[in-house]
Amino acid sequence: MVHLSSFLLKTYHGGHIVIRLAMAGHKQSNRPFYRIVAAYNKRARDSKYIEQLGSYDPLPNIYNEKLVSINSDRIKYWMGCGAHPTKPVAKLLGLAGFFPLHPMTVTETERRRALAELAEEAAPEDGVKQQEL
Amino acid sequence: MAARCLFRSYSRVKNVDQNTRILVRCSRRMLCSVPSDSSSPDAHVKPQFMDAEVQDILTRIAGLDLEKVFRPIKQELKPPTYKLMTDAQLEEAIQSAREQAQRLLKMPPVLPERKPINDVLSEDKILEGMDTAKYVFTDITFNIPHRERFIVIREPTGTLRKASWEERDRILQVYFPKGARRLTAPPVFQEESLKVVFGQDRHEDVLDLCQVQFEPDSSEYIRVHAATYEDLEKMGKYDLLRSTRHFGGLVWYLVNARRVDGLIIDMLQEDLLQDAVSLVGLFNKVHPNSEIAQEASSQQASGLDLLKIYAKRESQRAGYIELALQAYEQTSAESSV
Repeated sequence: MVHLSSFLLKTYHGGHIVIRLAMAGHKQSNRPFYRIVAAYNKRARDSKYIEQLGSYDPLPNIYNEKLVSINSDRIKYWMGCGAHPTKPVAKLLGLAGFFPLHPMTVTETERRRALAELAEEAAPEDGVKQQEL
Repeated sequence: MAARCLFRSYSRVKNVDQNTRILVRCSRRMLCSVPSDSSSPDAHVKPQFMDAEVQDILTRIAGLDLEKVFRPIKQELKPPTYKLMTDAQLEEAIQSAREQAQRLLKMPPVLPERKPINDVLSEDKILEGMDTAKYVFTDITFNIPHRERFIVIREPTGTLRKASWEERDRILQVYFPKGARRLTAPPVFQEESLKVVFGQDRHEDVLDLCQVQFEPDSSEYIRVHAATYEDLEKMGKYDLLRSTRHFGGLVWYLVNARRVDGLIIDMLQEDLLQDAVSLVGLFNKVHPNSEIAQEASSQQASGLDLLKIYAKRESQRAGYIELALQAYEQTSAESSV
């Protein structure tokens, strides 16, 4: 059958514009790398986007830094056009100081701290038990 | 100071971002501005490297040896081209070569060392322990100069601070790579390697590498240049830099450190008396309170008299300079007679 999608997408687009993370790089490699991207909502995550607004590297480098680049000028433009940022993008921008802090960042930090405390309590107990044995 | 007070009062307002960015930008501009006065030096204002007169003197002293400027460098092998020219065309070609040499010999700037950045934008204790790695946020908007770009780091303790100068250089190289600059400095610039390279007489190459790798006001750049100039002065190998663009920097360093002896003697040995005279003139301009300058202005001395005054007062090896001057006077007397 004739593929009508290319004709349709020129005039009709479903949904709104979002600013989200799209995985870049090749699917075979075990190395994630995200692009911060303005795209239509209904598009696949990694497919054609409208504009790239930055990048995010989730793996820390030799200086223990996670590099994030943000094109603030263009993000302001797309937000002014009515784009919605997704949760991870909003969290990143909140950490950057570009947005106010996202409440889930605080919640996640508290949860992590609680887990770490539980692990600390469990570890000395194991140490003590091994000494007894 | 005023900017920091303003900053504290504004940080209570809800829309922190906009205001801080504008204020930070203003204070950044104040931090980053380089003092450049092109006016003539008076008794109060010290002449800067970038003054027109100073640059003029330095270019004249540096010399323009076409053979050395256009000496063969390592490039792609191409078969040589031969052109048939009349005398007039040959002169034109030499003239354009001279102009290009002047452009190649343009001096890199000598700037004071940059002050470290210690700005903390916000301290959020609630974010402590959020992640084991730091987050580095760079603003990649196209039309901002690199000095004013926002590069901000969120530490695992929750503080949001501005990146230090070294971090800035590295991250700008990641996102806006510059030619032959490398992310980590090549090991040539460590102390031991510098000594080895100086032993091989390759000061020029080191200075060119330094020019490419570091910003002119970074501490690394200043340290490497100081080490090179010290070594040159100790060995007396001024000729290595003579027709290159680093000679002006060398002269400026020596004049500011008041150790121009070796250089003047070297010039006299090469029969470059005019250069020696202009060098002493430059010294007087930069240190107007020294004995030489005051004597020179009182006697309205010029030419060889300047050198005699210098030989009497400031230099340690006065005997040699006076001998050289006498020899020059004798030869000039003989040639005129």
